[in-house]
Amino acid sequence: MDKRIKPLLAAAMMCAALPALAAEIVVIVNPKNPASRMFSEQAAQFFLGKSTLFTPIEHTEGPLRNEFSQKVLGKDSAQVKAQWSKLVFTGKGTAPKEYGSSAEVKKAVAADVQAIGYIEKSAVDDSVKVILTVQ
Amino acid sequence: MTMKRMCSALAALSAASFAIQANAQDTGPTVTISGFGTAALTSTDTNDAEFIRPNQASGVKKDWRTGVDSNFGIQATVKVNDMISFTGQGLVRKDAIDHYRAQAAWAFAKFKVNDEFSVRVGRMGAPIYMISDFRNVGYANTMLRPPAEVYRQVTLDSFDGVDLLYQHSFGDTSLSVQLGTGRADVDQPAQNIEFRKMLLLHVVAENGPFTLRFGRAQADFSVVDNPTLTGLVTTLRTVGLGSVADMMPLNDVKGTFTSVGGTMDWKNVVLQAEYAMRRTDTLIVHDTNSWYAMAGYRFGKFLPYYYHGSIKQKSARSVAGLPTSGPLAPLGAGVNNLAKAALQSSDAVGVRWDFYKSLALKVQVDHIKPKDGPGAFINYKPGFNESVNVYAVALDFVF
Repeated sequence: MDKRIKPLLAAAMMCAALPALAAEIVVIVNPKNPASRMFSEQAAQFFLGKSTLFTPIEHTEGPLRNEFSQKVLGKDSAQVKAQWSKLVFTGKGTAPKEYGSSAEVKKAVAADVQAIGYIEKSAVDDSVKVILTVQ
Repeated sequence: MTMKRMCSALAALSAASFAIQANAQDTGPTVTISGFGTAALTSTDTNDAEFIRPNQASGVKKDWRTGVDSNFGIQATVKVNDMISFTGQGLVRKDAIDHYRAQAAWAFAKFKVNDEFSVRVGRMGAPIYMISDFRNVGYANTMLRPPAEVYRQVTLDSFDGVDLLYQHSFGDTSLSVQLGTGRADVDQPAQNIEFRKMLLLHVVAENGPFTLRFGRAQADFSVVDNPTLTGLVTTLRTVGLGSVADMMPLNDVKGTFTSVGGTMDWKNVVLQAEYAMRRTDTLIVHDTNSWYAMAGYRFGKFLPYYYHGSIKQKSARSVAGLPTSGPLAPLGAGVNNLAKAALQSSDAVGVRWDFYKSLALKVQVDHIKPKDGPGAFINYKPGFNESVNVYAVALDFVF
């Protein structure tokens, strides 16, 4: 695809916010993490702050995060934000770090044995381990 | 503080927090600044009494005011390493003193022992109720304000001491336990309360959309800086009513507060309920049972809800054998007034609208029925006992 058209197309998709066109999402951990597979209910516990065993890495707000929130967490982004504000403002938890792209999330997960993140399937490489494909 | 000043302060802080996070390094101590607040307008349909949130010195009548439901909090966390962090939170609101003032809500050090245990030392939120810790964070709640029938029973936000946090997952169920001990001094409009030997237990079990919570708080408390009350007790002894005076100790009184609650957020149905029992060894802090139940249904970004709250007194509302005539009659009436808990019930409807990221707009109308007295209203006209409608609009934000 023409490199100049791609960002334009991506922008158009974001504006239209068509979930049907979203890419397949996979949940990833550090290759040194002993976990080999995971149910989405388990993954959701980390992204909702219910377990601190793994450190969740989030995306900034956008279509990918919306799709992950809906499919895996079963909530929209406002509900997820409200859930985190309960933890943050009780001093019991720290909201996940947010990154703007799958490449940055992948880099963060590759750098931290405890980390758990999610990216587009097409962005996966040897630096991370896939433990769940989001249906 | 006017609404305008609040909003411009918010805008400035949003920008500041963004800058700090952007500059934070991945190595070494990291600083996170976050905040929350509510800009609200509240009014009622009467000028015969003032509606307040628990422990406020002044409230609202027919004129719209910002003071009852507005607040602003800012929190800073310094994470030194994976084990040690420091958190401070400041809160600005109208409380026992009749103007906005800043309070150091929390300031504690947290030591993460392992993935399941943490120990905190300093000033922390007191887990008296199910939503104790985040009841000032409007954005984290469905309702515009915590139901007063339950949430005015113990007006205590924080305590100074130490607590232990434990978190463990049993399959799909996650359990968290908080056990704390310490002390607290609470300013009230006409007196102060000193809580000592506090023991606080807060147990929460979560499974998917369901949350169950049990809480138990106990303390020895003293009512101080209330010359009217100490004068009354002295007078009772002087006139030979020592037995009545013995019913109202003011120092080192044992009090307990036991509560159960639950929430559900399943397929757009949102439920929340709590039941609480207060028990003390003094006539002037009444034994009460209180509860509320809320139900809501989420239509996309809109969440309309309804709740009912009620309180009953379990201790006697009057003392037998008090003089009802003669020169001591006013004394008898005074004691009987003190024996009466503020009874009322509330029915409220409201809607939360998540109209923009990190912003929620709420509208709520409460219909409050005082029972056998003025309820929880203050500065009321003599004989006030009417039902009151309370109207409120609130903008909640987090950053």
